[in-house]
Order: sequence, then structure tokens, then C-alpha cells
Amino acid sequence: MPDTEEKKLVTMKIDGQEITVPEGMNVIDAAEQIGIYIPRFCYHPALSVAGNCRMCLVETNQARKPVPACREGAREGLEVTTNSDRIKEARKDVLEFILLDHPVDCPICDKAGECMLQEQYSKFSLRPSSLSMPKVHKPKVKVMGPTVLYDAERCINCTRCVRFMAEIAKDPVLTQVHRGDHAYIDLAPDKVLNSPYSMNVVDLCPVGALTSRDFRFKARVWFLESTDTVCSECSRGCNIRVDTYKGEIKRIVPRENPDVNGMFMCDHGRLAYHEYENDRLFTVAGTRTGDMNYTQAVNRISLQLLQMIKSGMPPVVILSPFMTNEDAWVAIFSLKVLANVNVFAIGGNAQGEGDDILIREDKNPNTRGLMTILKHFGIQPVSVKEAIEQADNGMIVFGTRHAWIDEIAKKIGTLDFGVILSAKATPATTKAAFALPVPSPYETTGTWTNEFGITQRVQAVLQPQQEARPIWQIVQDMHRGFARMQTFTRVEEITDILMDKGLIALDDLTNTGDDITVEAGK
Amino acid sequence: MVKVKVIERPVPTVSTEIYLKEVLKGMGVSAKHFFQGITTQKNLVTTQYPEEKRPYPKRFRGHHRLMKREDGSARCVACYMCATACPSHCITIEAGEREEPYIQKYPRKFEIDYLKCVFCGFCVDACPQDAIRMDSDKHRIPAYTRQDEMAGNIDLLKLGGLSQARQGGKWS
Repeated sequence: MPDTEEKKLVTMKIDGQEITVPEGMNVIDAAEQIGIYIPRFCYHPALSVAGNCRMCLVETNQARKPVPACREGAREGLEVTTNSDRIKEARKDVLEFILLDHPVDCPICDKAGECMLQEQYSKFSLRPSSLSMPKVHKPKVKVMGPTVLYDAERCINCTRCVRFMAEIAKDPVLTQVHRGDHAYIDLAPDKVLNSPYSMNVVDLCPVGALTSRDFRFKARVWFLESTDTVCSECSRGCNIRVDTYKGEIKRIVPRENPDVNGMFMCDHGRLAYHEYENDRLFTVAGTRTGDMNYTQAVNRISLQLLQMIKSGMPPVVILSPFMTNEDAWVAIFSLKVLANVNVFAIGGNAQGEGDDILIREDKNPNTRGLMTILKHFGIQPVSVKEAIEQADNGMIVFGTRHAWIDEIAKKIGTLDFGVILSAKATPATTKAAFALPVPSPYETTGTWTNEFGITQRVQAVLQPQQEARPIWQIVQDMHRGFARMQTFTRVEEITDILMDKGLIALDDLTNTGDDITVEAGK
Repeated sequence: MVKVKVIERPVPTVSTEIYLKEVLKGMGVSAKHFFQGITTQKNLVTTQYPEEKRPYPKRFRGHHRLMKREDGSARCVACYMCATACPSHCITIEAGEREEPYIQKYPRKFEIDYLKCVFCGFCVDACPQDAIRMDSDKHRIPAYTRQDEMAGNIDLLKLGGLSQARQGGKWS
């Protein structure tokens, strides 16, 4: 976003409506402010202006010929016409040129249904092709990298992908080769499209030229059901939209949120749902305790916990930064205030590599929220290593995505009171005395606070299956036998308490941005 | 002014009210067909059903069939248009990947649940590939189990034939 405060305001007219905008703002954005949609392919608000598709042609009072609206800066006295007969005809001509060599293989194209070319052809043209000779053939199904496939025949050479890789991903591996109707996008010599942001070009592509290898042929887009939530893979907390079909996650795409992630997200976050596809824990498990159902398990845990408190030997607790603020609050409140546990540790993934684009070093979504709540209870967390050493009485472990999971598994196997709450079946869950299933991050509802202190709502994309319950509910059930236990029935009640106590501020929430793939449907 | 055509009602008389003339006329028709049937057997209005079957009309919508390519594989590219158009949601498709760059996609699974199908023909209209047709001149035969009412790829391809339609039009 350019600093608009500095620029002076000018008054211009679009289709007869007067509008006051900062000087130099392009006409596409200005028109959008008063609800006029100018069709475009190559223009994208996050990228530099190329002006090569010619779809956004408009008439002005200061030029004889139609001019591209994306390159036309707002200035005093400019009068723009976007719906004259000349412009309507020009759009049809442009679309006829763009579609001249297009293979029209929409039946096998993953973009069909959210394709800007489809939308704008049916909205602005519907003119049949007047081609009377064979179409130009270009490479199809070209592997661009580990995540992206390219179909040059579908490509309209808008160069959005080229500009994205150069300007935002800072990895300029894409370029345009050949000329005229033989032009297409190709990799620079000896380069592969393997940037951590490569899959954004799939969303950016206005047609089906660049398609995701992960989503390839998995579902048609009009069948997908979408839920807005937050990515769990690093402490930035990118806003995402998770698309499901028949109860399975099919893909993850970013939503626009200028305060958090802008318009993009990393490939790792898009593919992270595969982590929770296999080896899931859905029923209460544990080797040494035999078969039992959820109620029996929490009752036995509750009894053992009471005995341990009475004898003054409380267990240690290893928290997970994948827990929501609500889970963390109920867990820490119950275990600290009711069960007198003193030793808390924060587990979670080890620090990884970050960059100055989106990816953060902290690979956990809610470290900051967890720290805030621990601080509220006056707890100084110990390291996971110390917690394991002090765990001779017993141990309660939240989550399985811990850097120290091998050591935890080794220790938990020797304990009579080893409880692990996990979404996945791992060695630790089979060795533990009690392993309770919990929802995956995509089945969780609550809030996460990212590294910058922005608290965002996490919504369950799928419902928890079989015996899996939210962590706050399990902890609550484990403390049924304790006095002074406040019980909740909905997660929103806990969110309200956290907001009352000033631990999170959901007012800051700007979690309402559109995702970039709905651009075509406007 | 609205034009009104006035029709005079026939006045009932004794001869029309006893229906004797009409009864005799009708018996005459029956007698004509009866004697035709046992003598010349020409101009029969009935069909000798199990031995002889009436030809189906050209636009009869029967059992679905999947059309084939020259190499015998299904023309279907699993675009889900039929499943999208289907008002009874009876079509289940799972897409697979093919090597050929101009085909790319094929239905690994194509199943029609005939307990749900209402034989409306929307799937045929929706198909961009001329891959599914209902001109097999076959009724769906009732089955004893629910599983038998599910017709898969193989069943539907068995009835299929070659199609000349070309994807992408004349100049693709």
C-alpha cells in the first residue's frame, strides 16, 4: 500500500459519478470504490502494473483512443467511461484475441469454475470465434516444479506469475519466451519453480495455465465447501480458506488480510493438511491400561490426579503451542489452581528457518498466546528437558508435535500416570498410560495469538471424529471431581472470559478479507 | 368485444339415450379385428409381445452407456458436468490421470446409482464430450440387491460405441 496521506486528493468522474481519490491512484481501484468493476487479467493489486492484457480498456476525455485503466492515474478533471459501446466492442475484440489459440479444455481444467477467462467471456463477450485455421500448439502439462504444472496453451501471457516471482517471492525463475502467438511462460535455464511461495502463482493465474499438482483432479471447485480459518504452521497465522469436499480437505488458499499476511501464504501452509490425513488417533488408547472408553479414561485420570494432589506429588505438564487460547486457559487454570501443578513447560516444534516475506522462525501458531496466559497465572515455564527430568510423579502432555517427542515418549512409557492428548497416533500415544484423542488444528475452534499479538479466530473446518473432544472439554472432564470447577458448554464462553480479563483482544480482528481466488466472481 | 361462438347442444332423444346404435358399432369393430386375427392376420393393432417387441422411439432414454475412443477407453474426461446437472445426485465420479497431454483425465470410477436415477437425461445434455448417452434401447432391469443397482465403468462401457465428436471444436 502506498502512503496515501501524502498525496493530494483529486476529483474525477467515472461513468458520470464524481469521486475524490488520491492523485495517481489507478482507475481500476478508483472505480472499484464506487462499485464499478472494470474487467482485467494482468492487473493485480499486489503486483506492479504491466498493462499487457488490454482487457481493462476505458475511454477518457483526454485521449482519443481507449486506454488501459490499470495504467491510467487519477488526475483532476479526468472523465472515464467504462460502459460505452466502443468499450464493449473493444472488450469483445480483446477476448477474441485472447481466446484465439485457447484450447477450451475446460472439462479437464482445474481452474474451471473460478476462471477469470470463463467469467469475463460469459459476462462481457459471448462472441463466437472466427478462427479459420489450426490453432497454435504449445507445451502442455509441463512440470514447473514440485508443486506447479504449466499448460502453455491455456496461458494468456498476463505475466502475473513472472511479476510475482520477481517482486514478491524474490526468486525470479519465470520468464516469457518466444514472441507473438508463440509466446509462453518458461523457466529460466537450469532453474526450477521451487520457491516456498511457488503455489501462489496458481491462485494468481487468471486462467488454468498454472495449476497445483496437489489439487490436480481432486475435485471440481464448485463442489467445494469453504471455511475461513487460520494457518497453524508458523507464528504469523496467515488467514486461510480451507476447501473441503465430501468431508475431506482438498486444498488451502490464502485470504487477504493486510495486517497479517497480505494476499499470499507459503506452500508449507497449503500442504500442511496432509499431516493429519493418516495415522490419526480417534479412540482412547494406551497399552498398559487396556481397552476403555472415553468416560472410563477421564474418570480414572481424575481419580489418580486427586490422589496425587492429596499426597502432594503433582504431575508435570507439557503444554503445546498448538493449543488455542481457550484450551490453554482451561488447562492452566484447572491444573494450576485446582490441581496445584507447579511445573509447566512449553513444547512445540523447534525453531526453524524464517524469511522476511511471510515465514517466521517460530513454527508454532500460539506461542505468544500461551505465554500471555502463563504470565497471567504467574507461572514461569521451565524447559521441556527439565520437565521430563522432574516427571517422576506423572506427566500430562498436550499434543504430539513437540521437538522433544522422542524423549517424552521414552519417559511417558515408564510412568503410571502418563497422559497424552494427541490428534495423531505416535509411539508416545501407544506407550502412554492414557492417550486421549483431540481434534487436529483443522477441527479446532478457538483463537490463536500470532507473533505480533494479533488474536484471530480459528474455526473448525471438519467436525472432530469418534471420541475426539476439544482439549478444554477433556481437561474439564478430568477435573469433574474437583471443587470450584467452572464448567463450560461452548468455546465462546471461554473466549468471552479471556476478553474480559484482557488476555486477548478480538476487536483487533481483521479476519474478514476476501481471498484472491474469488476475484473473478465480482 | 369478445367473440363468443355459440354451439348448440344436441337434444337427447330416445334413440340416442338407449345407446343401441353405438353398442352395435363397437361390437362391429371388435368383430372385425377378431376375424382379421384368426383369418388374414394383416393390419393387426396388437404386438405379439414376448416374441415380438415394439421398436423404441428414437429419443427413448434408457440405460446409460459410456462412449469409447478409438483405443476402447472411455471418452469421459471426468469433468463432473453430468454429476453437476444431475437432479438426483446419482452419479459418482473419481478422476484419474492419463499420460496423453490432450486427454489428461479419465474417470477411475464412474458409478450410477439406479435407485436414485430418474432417467431425466440431463447428464446427456450436459456432457461436453458426447461421452454419456442413454440411447442404448435398454430398460434398467430391476435387481435383487442394492449393490446390483449400482452400475460401474465396466457395465456402462459395455454398451458404449464409438463417437465422432471432437473436444475443443474443429480447429483444436
